[in-house]
Amino acid sequence: MNEAAQEALSQTNFGVVDFTIVVVYLLISLVIGLMVNRFAGSMENYIGAGRKVGPWLGVATMTGTELGLVTVMYSAQKGFTGGFAAFHMAVIAGVGTLLVGLTGFIVGPLRRMEVLTIPEFYEKRFNRRIRVLGGVMLVFAGVLNMGLFLKVGSMFIVGVTGLASEGEALKWVMVGLLSLVLVYTTLGGMISVVLTDYVQFVVLSFGLLIATGLAIWKLGWINIFETVHAELGVAGFDPTAEGAGFGWTYVFWMIVTAGLIGSAVWPTAVARALAMESESAVRKQYCWSSISFAVRFMIPYFWGICALVFITSTAEGADLKGLFYPAESDESALNNLYAMPVFMGRLLPPVLLGIVTAGMIAAFMSTHDSYFLTWSSVITQDIVAPLQKKPMSTKARIRLTRMLIVLMGGYVLYWGLFYKGREDIWDYMAVTGGIYFTGAFVVLMFGVYWKRTSSFGALLGLLSGLFMLLGLEPIQIAVGLKFQKDEGEWEELLTSPQIGLLTVGIAVVLTIIGSLVWPDATDEQTSESLKS
Amino acid sequence: MNWELIWKVVFIVVIGMFAVMSVLVTVFGAFDIKQLLNKLGEEDDDSWLGP
Repeated sequence: MNEAAQEALSQTNFGVVDFTIVVVYLLISLVIGLMVNRFAGSMENYIGAGRKVGPWLGVATMTGTELGLVTVMYSAQKGFTGGFAAFHMAVIAGVGTLLVGLTGFIVGPLRRMEVLTIPEFYEKRFNRRIRVLGGVMLVFAGVLNMGLFLKVGSMFIVGVTGLASEGEALKWVMVGLLSLVLVYTTLGGMISVVLTDYVQFVVLSFGLLIATGLAIWKLGWINIFETVHAELGVAGFDPTAEGAGFGWTYVFWMIVTAGLIGSAVWPTAVARALAMESESAVRKQYCWSSISFAVRFMIPYFWGICALVFITSTAEGADLKGLFYPAESDESALNNLYAMPVFMGRLLPPVLLGIVTAGMIAAFMSTHDSYFLTWSSVITQDIVAPLQKKPMSTKARIRLTRMLIVLMGGYVLYWGLFYKGREDIWDYMAVTGGIYFTGAFVVLMFGVYWKRTSSFGALLGLLSGLFMLLGLEPIQIAVGLKFQKDEGEWEELLTSPQIGLLTVGIAVVLTIIGSLVWPDATDEQTSESLKS
Repeated sequence: MNWELIWKVVFIVVIGMFAVMSVLVTVFGAFDIKQLLNKLGEEDDDSWLGP
């Protein structure tokens, strides 16, 4: 990094008072974790908060989990590159969640069956082998999916605090944040997660609103739209336009991922639904959460747009323009993930910057602890325990879950340091998540609503998700789906959204064919278990 | 289709709804926490009494 870049990145309003706010906030979270540790004695309490979460707390915890720092970062990146056209994903996410809340689609029947995890449903509906396979697919995709969370979250911290100008700071922040999350998550399980999600909701929701208001005040409402017009043209508003980086295929892929899957099938969201006190509380939780499912994308998109406007149209941001848009073609541009945090570091005044940063770190922790807890409990409950000859004791299960959380921590640190893909973070997550959810969505939907779905159909449906691996950039390059032309430009034979939609189609076809060709002998029995 | 106008309206409406929801969740969520801790506390006390 040259001197000019170091100078530009080190400019921030973050000071000692903000640092103090962050430390105090994190200490409070740690104390909460310690205080509720005594309630985490049973597996139901540890991973499901005893199924006693009320609807309003449910909304807070759903928002706290899904509004993670990584969400804020990848969404800001989409806003920075795609402008207002990115808003279509926020609308799809909100409407999709509302529809799930109104109809109880998938989550209602799951809550009625009183399962703790999605693979547990597979066993009740199909058999133990499907449960184990579902668990393996879920964990493989889920762990791959969270591989970049740590790095991206740490990029926010170093960006907003000015540490990005220090060469090794990113690695040390990654190690520090990870240690914090591991200590905290292994302590209190879902109960501490739910309580700190509430605190995070309160801090972050008001922080988001105030920061958004400040950004509009600073840049000017009309100027924001005019600058996006000047920089991105029509493509900055119309998601179906050429050059927007989206298009119809992308929009359809978002209806599947951000709309239906994000709310009805994604295990961390479903884990919240399954921790609720009743099915009506689940529905209420989803209806209200539809607002936060839209906001969790929309506000960060807007911040990314504001960062673009700040860098390209204001005198204060002029020193950053050369970093993100180098004049010489042989110079490499600074990773655009840094645009939003650097902008926030200069926009927000001290104290408010400390509060927002503390809220963001809390968001980072809440996403991590929830994901660690979800994937590790799936390994314990749905892979290891069913394969044991003797029943596992609660103590052994909790101990194994805690050990797995630490192992996953080591993995995210490794993956964050070494993954070389260059796709946008959101696209990486949609693809890796798709390995699980394309198959699981189809199997869950058919399993709940079509009584003839058989174990063999479910097996084929779940395995279809592996086609999604072709959406990852390093694999696309390895198999020739993406290649560099002589002029140096990259050409894709199949885009990730096209692969995603194809995979869903393949999963539907194979589940139906598999079920019709090889039906289960006990159709009546399975339909009875669904009714109960 | 005027996308700019659509996104302006959507943004204002969604942010407005989120502001209202934030207040409601802050207030009623605190009551839910109290209830949750009470229920878990009762279970915790019962477990000390033995079967």
